Amino acid sequence: MKIKSYSKVLSALAISSLLLAACSNDTEKSSTKEKKGKDVEQVDTSLFPTKTTNQGEPIDGGHLTYGLVSDTPFEGILNKVFYQGDPDNQVITFFDEDLLDTDENYVFTNDGAASYEISDDNKTVTLTIKDNVNWQDGKPVTGADLEYAYLVLGSKDYKGVRYDEQMALIEGMEEYHAGKADSISGIKVDGKKITFTFKKANPSVTTGLWTYPLHKEYLSDVPIAKLESSDKIRKNPIGYGPFKVKKIVQGEAVEFEAFEGYHRGAPKLDSVTLKVVNPSVAVKSLENGDIDVASISADQFDQAKALDNVEILGKVDLAYTYIGFKFGHYDEKKAENVMDNPKFEDKRLRQAMAYAINNEEVGEKMYKGLRFPANSVITPNFKYNNKDVKPYEYDPEKAKKLLDEAGYVDTNKDGLREDPDGKEFKINFASMSGGDIAEPLTNYYIQQWQEVGLDVQMLDGRLHEFNSFYDLLKKDNEEVDIYQAAWGVASDPDPSGLWSRSAAFNYTRWVNDKNDELLAKGISEEAFDDQYRIDTYNEWQELIHEEVPIIPTLFRYTTTGVNKRVSGYDYLAERQYKWFNVGVTEEAK
Amino acid sequence: MEMKVESGKIIQTKDVSPSGMKIIWQEIKKDKLAMGSLIILVAILVFVYGASFFMDAKEIAKVDFLSIYMEPSSDYWLGTDYGGRDVFGQLIIGTRNSFTISLFITLFTAIIGLSLGLLAGYFGGATDNVIMRVIDFVIALPQLMFIVVVVTIVPVFNVYVFILIMTMFLWTGKARLIRSKALSERELDYIHASQTLGTPHWKIILFQLLPNVSSLIIVNFILNLAGNIGLESSLTFLGFGLPESTPSLGTLISYARNPDVLENKWWIWVPASLMILVLMLSINFVGQALKRAADARQRRG
Amino acid sequence: MWKFILRRFLVMIPQLFLLSIIVFMMAKAMPGDALSGQEINPRANPAELERIREDLGLNDPWYQQYIRWASNAVQGDFGISYTHKTPVMDVIEDRLWNTVFLALVTLIFTYMLAIPLGILSGRYNDTWVDKTVTGYSYIGFGTPIFIFALIMLFVFGFALDWFPSGGSVDSKVDEGTFAYVVSKINHLILPALSTALIATTSTIQYLRNEIIDNKIKDFVRTARSKGVPESNVYSRHILRNSFLPIAAFLGYEITGLIGGAVIIETIFSYPGLGQLFLSSVSLRDFSVVTAIVMMTGFATLLGTLLSDIILSAVDPRIRIE
Repeated sequence: MKIKSYSKVLSALAISSLLLAACSNDTEKSSTKEKKGKDVEQVDTSLFPTKTTNQGEPIDGGHLTYGLVSDTPFEGILNKVFYQGDPDNQVITFFDEDLLDTDENYVFTNDGAASYEISDDNKTVTLTIKDNVNWQDGKPVTGADLEYAYLVLGSKDYKGVRYDEQMALIEGMEEYHAGKADSISGIKVDGKKITFTFKKANPSVTTGLWTYPLHKEYLSDVPIAKLESSDKIRKNPIGYGPFKVKKIVQGEAVEFEAFEGYHRGAPKLDSVTLKVVNPSVAVKSLENGDIDVASISADQFDQAKALDNVEILGKVDLAYTYIGFKFGHYDEKKAENVMDNPKFEDKRLRQAMAYAINNEEVGEKMYKGLRFPANSVITPNFKYNNKDVKPYEYDPEKAKKLLDEAGYVDTNKDGLREDPDGKEFKINFASMSGGDIAEPLTNYYIQQWQEVGLDVQMLDGRLHEFNSFYDLLKKDNEEVDIYQAAWGVASDPDPSGLWSRSAAFNYTRWVNDKNDELLAKGISEEAFDDQYRIDTYNEWQELIHEEVPIIPTLFRYTTTGVNKRVSGYDYLAERQYKWFNVGVTEEAK
Repeated sequence: MEMKVESGKIIQTKDVSPSGMKIIWQEIKKDKLAMGSLIILVAILVFVYGASFFMDAKEIAKVDFLSIYMEPSSDYWLGTDYGGRDVFGQLIIGTRNSFTISLFITLFTAIIGLSLGLLAGYFGGATDNVIMRVIDFVIALPQLMFIVVVVTIVPVFNVYVFILIMTMFLWTGKARLIRSKALSERELDYIHASQTLGTPHWKIILFQLLPNVSSLIIVNFILNLAGNIGLESSLTFLGFGLPESTPSLGTLISYARNPDVLENKWWIWVPASLMILVLMLSINFVGQALKRAADARQRRG
Repeated sequence: MWKFILRRFLVMIPQLFLLSIIVFMMAKAMPGDALSGQEINPRANPAELERIREDLGLNDPWYQQYIRWASNAVQGDFGISYTHKTPVMDVIEDRLWNTVFLALVTLIFTYMLAIPLGILSGRYNDTWVDKTVTGYSYIGFGTPIFIFALIMLFVFGFALDWFPSGGSVDSKVDEGTFAYVVSKINHLILPALSTALIATTSTIQYLRNEIIDNKIKDFVRTARSKGVPESNVYSRHILRNSFLPIAAFLGYEITGLIGGAVIIETIFSYPGLGQLFLSSVSLRDFSVVTAIVMMTGFATLLGTLLSDIILSAVDPRIRIE
């Protein structure tokens, strides 16, 4: 049974790249590509439309049913500071939002509920909340509300996981977090204005700043430790988004009604019903009109494509799948990764393993042409993705050649290669369960490695359940030689959290001086200059490509089905939850 | 998961006569349905165990992208699944695995259930009380959680581990059944008579009580054998089944949790479902005939 | 009798104690904890996660955690669910009622099917009626519940659209109204019927066998020889004797249904206890897991006790001394 947020990473859809489209004779795919007139050298991320095509006039009093696709009920922690699973987040987007909007590169804009300015020394950010932005109870949204969110997130009574390293860069935040101060000295509030002062300049501020306020007046009488379980969060949440929560059927459904005082203008729909739909019936529910919008998983894509009343929107997901090599362990005392496992120290061995697998075919056949080979670990929906870096292409001969060169040859003629010392060379491959495709995919990779003579075996002869899998990685279990996993990446391109010398999430334990240097450059003050940052990350991606500490395998598309009576729905990340714009042009059947 | 079809009849005869096997055979011969079932059953088992001996399990488990979701054809008699693997081959090996699993689970649960059931029933009193409280306790254990936990923490999850876990939970029903039967038997005169004669308990249990509950055991054994065949399919549905490298009938059927397979790719799950049905029915019909053989009053002619 | 019941209650204390220890140890034997799920969130701060673990006491040895848990549990406090951020009892309460309703309706359907079919089959055994019923019960027995439930859902929930295809109630109706009750029942019918149609088959067979066995017993023969009309022989003698053991199993049935509804709840997106249990195990939300196990364990022990009391009242051979 797949669970919550991480299953999203596992089950999301992906779609073929230009590379696939170019060598496939699927005319529909290529025509879409031509229509969009994309550069041939670029990864085609527009195989699907992202907007509904319905141009009709929305009817008055329209009602929409949103299918929350999940195999468990939602938990009902309806606040971005506290929620755990993605289902809750989907509920929140209807009635609440962040103060700053983002553009297609996930960089903040001034179009949302607030505008922002960065000081000349790049250390101070000032947000000005627009005058007409009010909570649904009529009270204005103020700087104090956003400050209160920081006070909660930094409090020792806060049991969630959203106090991150960027917050700690605000002046006085660490002191407050440690309980040494009652307020955060780096945050200054003046009515609808709020100013953050950072200890050092960091370009990630323009993508990663926390801008979700808490209704201070409404919530401050509840102790911080009790907030997450209070009815004010769970049953009667007040946001400032386009819809108001009218009624909640715990875990199953939410009824919303339009919030006329919404700062972007009254929404086009009168009301929305959100209800939980089991993944196995999501397409069926779309077909018979029970729900108007629902995400579609890979295994049901063919069925969804055949529906007359539904159009499919898609976009590249913020995630990549990869195969990682284990280089060492994490030293908790020093809080540092240590490379002390020489098994994969020869770069040629790693490259050979990358050449030996055919990800193009995996994407095309296994995911029905809906995932595509990953060229890098920065996803292609960022401008930082280095288009000049190409994925390792399937070339078993080259793989064999590299292995021969590196000294991995079959000395005892058993069909499998021995290591340079002539000893048996066995590789244990750990892979995670979840989703139908996991097991054949793992076996497929193993088969391909065996074809070039590498003795790869599935660790323990089976897939590992999510928690066990990450437990093996986290504790650097010695049985694990290589593993397959996926990362969902944040809207901030800085990869330090997964790649730096000190990152505990750097599960390969790969460390490299050049890597340290480039990562630091990417978030230095110079990196406020975008071209500088692009160049830095381009160089970094070349380094990763050359060194292959991991083999990036697949990027993915995520798709959603929308009933054709719906207008104004845009699936692109920065607009996906702009529900005020969505209307329906006819009544449901 | 366990069938509750139990025989509540009281057998008045003291024991199964030496010609018991002959009666059983007679009864089956007379019953065309049972005879037919027996032939089908033996044929399937011989074929499945024989064929799987010559089959290359590795070859069947091999992922082939060029043949995903192929419809049945002369190359693939029952088409292929989402890994491009031959369904027919999986069906053969799956049937063998499922039947073996069922046989061993039934056997082990029967041994445990019989021993404890007889002890509890024969001695009654404190012995009975202790055994029954243990049974209560096992029933109160969360079966699902045990399975989930064991699946997560054992280094290898295979047929043997699966048999072990299921045995751990499924013996209780049998023990209870045998115990209630033994409880009523021990009140009967022949036991009392032996006891007054000073026959040792173990002799009474083994040579008098056991034969008298044997018909119940055989019938229950057969019915359980049928019931346990599809046992792992629900677990596979929940994601805690055997790895795909050990195909079973349950694995094949569980592919139908994908609605696309359920609706459009019948060749993956229907044959396995039919196989379960055919196996269960034929085992059952044979079992019914045995039951009649054991109970003189129901015998035909 | 009272002494017997009291003694059984006393036995339950060590049983529950043992159960709680086993569950606790097993929970701790599983890799990961409630925070593991956050570890693939690249923005989560590992040091912060460690601090929360320390705060929640997740790093203490299991017996310390156990003692802390047990001393609260005795006072009826099962702690806070990390996933739901709310007291465990609140989480369970919502789901418990859904599952209980589902179990009750399933039970009603099961017996509505089993009693007439079992009687027909047993009374007219070896006729075509009996063969049809027996055939049905074999097929039902051999059909995996989830395949059947999915087909039921696709046929009646989608193709024919007679019943809602998920959830426990229509979110548009208001609590406390008549429409609310109707909607609740409407949502129950399909899942309950799907379970009942499969689950009933064993009860049918049981009843059939009981009737066939009783038919030839001495007291029935005597009644017949006294010239009691055939219909009275059935209603007064055979049926009464055949129903009793089934009634005695009621206790088990209910607890079995409450614990075993995971699959149906999953397929019909019905927020019940079984589903909560499974997702809590996967998310390592152990406070919920232990609470559910203790509750169902206690209910099962009560159920067995109830069944034993009924059985002993029915069958003098199984005496309670």
